[in-house]
Amino acid sequence: MMDRVQRVRLLVLALALLAAFARLAVKIRNCHLGEHAELRRLANERRTVERPLLVGRGRILDRNGHLLALDAMLYHVCADPARLVETHRAETVGAQLARLLALDPATVVGRISQPNRRYVRVERFVKDDEARRIRELNLEHVWFEPVSTRLYPRGATACHVIGFSNAEGVGGAGIEQRFDAYLRGRPGIRISERDGEKNEMYGRRLLEIAGQEGADIELTLHLDLQEIVETALDEALAATGAVGAWAAIEEVRTGEILAMASRPNYDLSAPRLSLDDRLRNRVIGDVFEPGSTFKSAVIAAALDQGIVRPDDVFDCENGTWIYRGKPLRDYHPYGALTVADIIKKSSNIGAAKIALKMGDERLETALRRFGFGRATGIELPGEESGILRPRSVWTVQSPTRIAMGHEVGVTALQVLNAMCAIANDGFLMRPTIVRRVRDAQGRVLLETGPEVLGRPLSAAGARRMAALLERVTQEGGTGARAAVPGYRVAGKTGTAEKIVNGQYSKTLNVASFVGFLPVEQPAIGLIVVLDEPKGARTGGAAAGPVFRAIAQEAVRILGIYPEDSVRVVDPTQENPPSNPPENES
Amino acid sequence: MNGRLLGQRARRLDWPAMMAILLLLAAGVAFIYSAGWRGEDAPSTGFHRRQIGWCAVGLAVFFTAALTDYRRVGAQAYGLYAVGLATLVAVLFLGVKVYGARRWLDFFGQRVQPSEFAKLATILALARYLAAPATDPRSRETLIVAALLAGAPFLLIAAEPDLGSAATLLPVTALMLLAAGVPARTLGAIALGGLALLPLGWLALGDYQRSRILVFLDPGRDPLGAGWNSIQSGIAVGSGGLWGKGWLRGTQNVLGFLPRTVAPTDFIFSVIAEEKGFAGSLALLALYAIVLAGGVRAALRARDPFGRLLAAGLTALLFVHVFVNIAMTIGLAPVTGLPLPLVSYGGSFMAAALLALGWIQSVFVRRRVE
Repeated sequence: MMDRVQRVRLLVLALALLAAFARLAVKIRNCHLGEHAELRRLANERRTVERPLLVGRGRILDRNGHLLALDAMLYHVCADPARLVETHRAETVGAQLARLLALDPATVVGRISQPNRRYVRVERFVKDDEARRIRELNLEHVWFEPVSTRLYPRGATACHVIGFSNAEGVGGAGIEQRFDAYLRGRPGIRISERDGEKNEMYGRRLLEIAGQEGADIELTLHLDLQEIVETALDEALAATGAVGAWAAIEEVRTGEILAMASRPNYDLSAPRLSLDDRLRNRVIGDVFEPGSTFKSAVIAAALDQGIVRPDDVFDCENGTWIYRGKPLRDYHPYGALTVADIIKKSSNIGAAKIALKMGDERLETALRRFGFGRATGIELPGEESGILRPRSVWTVQSPTRIAMGHEVGVTALQVLNAMCAIANDGFLMRPTIVRRVRDAQGRVLLETGPEVLGRPLSAAGARRMAALLERVTQEGGTGARAAVPGYRVAGKTGTAEKIVNGQYSKTLNVASFVGFLPVEQPAIGLIVVLDEPKGARTGGAAAGPVFRAIAQEAVRILGIYPEDSVRVVDPTQENPPSNPPENES
Repeated sequence: MNGRLLGQRARRLDWPAMMAILLLLAAGVAFIYSAGWRGEDAPSTGFHRRQIGWCAVGLAVFFTAALTDYRRVGAQAYGLYAVGLATLVAVLFLGVKVYGARRWLDFFGQRVQPSEFAKLATILALARYLAAPATDPRSRETLIVAALLAGAPFLLIAAEPDLGSAATLLPVTALMLLAAGVPARTLGAIALGGLALLPLGWLALGDYQRSRILVFLDPGRDPLGAGWNSIQSGIAVGSGGLWGKGWLRGTQNVLGFLPRTVAPTDFIFSVIAEEKGFAGSLALLALYAIVLAGGVRAALRARDPFGRLLAAGLTALLFVHVFVNIAMTIGLAPVTGLPLPLVSYGGSFMAAALLALGWIQSVFVRRRVE
């Protein structure tokens, strides 16, 4: 009986086992055939890695190859606190790291003694040699993350031109921003597979496109001149108590900018705040009423077009002239002045009368041909175009105000560039600050050459105006303090009252001096602008000495000699030409 | 034993089951090779060569057992049981510690897992006791003695700790009791009582065991830790498709997503499933069905109750291993470290499984002839 019971039970149990097997088979079928496509995709996805091949950012150099910005590899020192605590080594490792990184041991030990964390950065941006010393200790659970970091070896020098790039390697200002696409290069890409330990399998690489390293930007800046300008501006701020100062040097024949500086400034290697006023490059980003420097453009055009001649005489009304119901005043009262002396003495009334003689149309056209009211097109972000309203909205007094540099807004670069056109036989050049862009293989991707924007003056007219502007720096001129001993300097002072609450301020002004040298063979143009100088507030008194300080160093560094001295040292010149006759001196 | 008798016995062997066993052993070697494969140039792990050695040892054990009268073994059942318990005690004190558990005895440089053999001895002792004419399957005494016989090795194995291996004794004992004729109602009551005690069992579990169960219930819970093996195994099985990716071409396996430590042992089925697909999985399952059916047939046709219960118990043990291992691989059960008989890499269990199959053959060879 028992025997039969047992055998029946065995059969039942066997059927139960069969049912269990069937259940397995069903599940296996579902696994293989049901979710199959999805799971195969998942298996492939887990294997495939797509990784950008990072490239270094290009460098920024001055015209002589001095480095202004470059990428360097630094390291983050990282640690796994959980494992260090587990292995009871947090104290010893912390002490070793603190010693090599010159950090406080207690802080480091505290940081790596967090048993619930698997990742901390012990120190960021550690230099290569320091990282190597730590690496030699072969510490377990301590590793390094390489980070590419932007270095600016010159600190604050030319900060506004160079600009900066942020931690993600994106340019945020200056050349770094404008030439970001060139500097950044193009990261490559690698699509490959990895194994279960997350190591890439070289044999299974599917795609590899090498990255394009960032290109180098060669600027027209001359680092030595730049340093001189920077120093001169700092000294000017200290001497005059101005709240801001900016200056630029332009090569007359080519439009290349040799130096460009602005105050206030900032250190490129220090942390920066966005929207900080110090970030503004005032040479191109500050629009101000130029004052008398503007007269040079107006009068140059009037002379060139034959509307006036240098010895034409205008009545300067003894300092006050009521025109159409509104008074116009001179800084010093004058009676009758020739056109030449109107420039030399900077008479507002004289300039106004010349402008009226030109008429609205010729005045506006002439100023536009000098490039006012329009951005120069220099390769920098944030350039303002200034303000030159069309004559259709002018009042009857407008020409008289524009002639003395009011009712218009300019940037220092526009004024400098217009002055350089006078120096350059009337050719208006496009100011340029980038010489060429070269990729990592040395191929030239972009090259700038001299570019003529227009010709506001004839060569003769330009020379005639240069001769008149030279008198400004001579004895009795408003810019006598800008004179450079041994050189013939042409230039023009500017003193514009600032508008405070809609009124011209009697105490706050913008003092400037713009000029070029040497007159007989103009090489460089230079503008200096001081914002709210105290004490001697006029352009001649405040900005003139700064102009001189910069100019006399610049000619020395650039090897610019007065024509007289060139003649003496040149033995091949048998019959030297006589000095060109000088008018009105 | 003269030659004629030997020939007669050999003819009465369960040849289909024998063929299935040999095929399973061959599959094991082939896919252990694949599990150790990392590419043309990478050095082989050599696991497959050692597996071949163990197959040889196992087959020798198998034939010896098959040709030995199981009743002679049964006569020594209690003695073997005592030896089994002794080794289980010994392993607790002398065992080699691996991953925090003492499961192995060092036996002349060869690591042996005594629990595998102790479980066979337990089945032997249970069969002997339950088949004894004096034992009344309906009495309470029978239940108590059986519980003691199974309980001692259970606790000793669980203490190693190796709860998964110990737990296999539960269904095996239950099946043997059922087969022996213990009233189903009694066993049902015990099972219900056990279920009621399950929450207490939860408290007794170690952290890793709890996390395995939680991960089983929700595989996404800890995908990089406790859930990693089962997720990767699920991906491996599933990505095999109908015909698989081909031998040595399973990406989950060859590329090490399926951890290399478990691929040749507990997760060998997922290697097969990935590389041979649904067809391969099903074929493997069919081979096991043949082997286990042979066990059931041996039990049904055994010439005495001892042979019947022995064959039933051993078949149940093998079944539990096959079922739990495959179920774990395809996400039907929590991860437990139960190897797949005849296929998984490992010497002790290989020998134990073939010993069990040999005894089943011994029962079958001496079956009642109708």
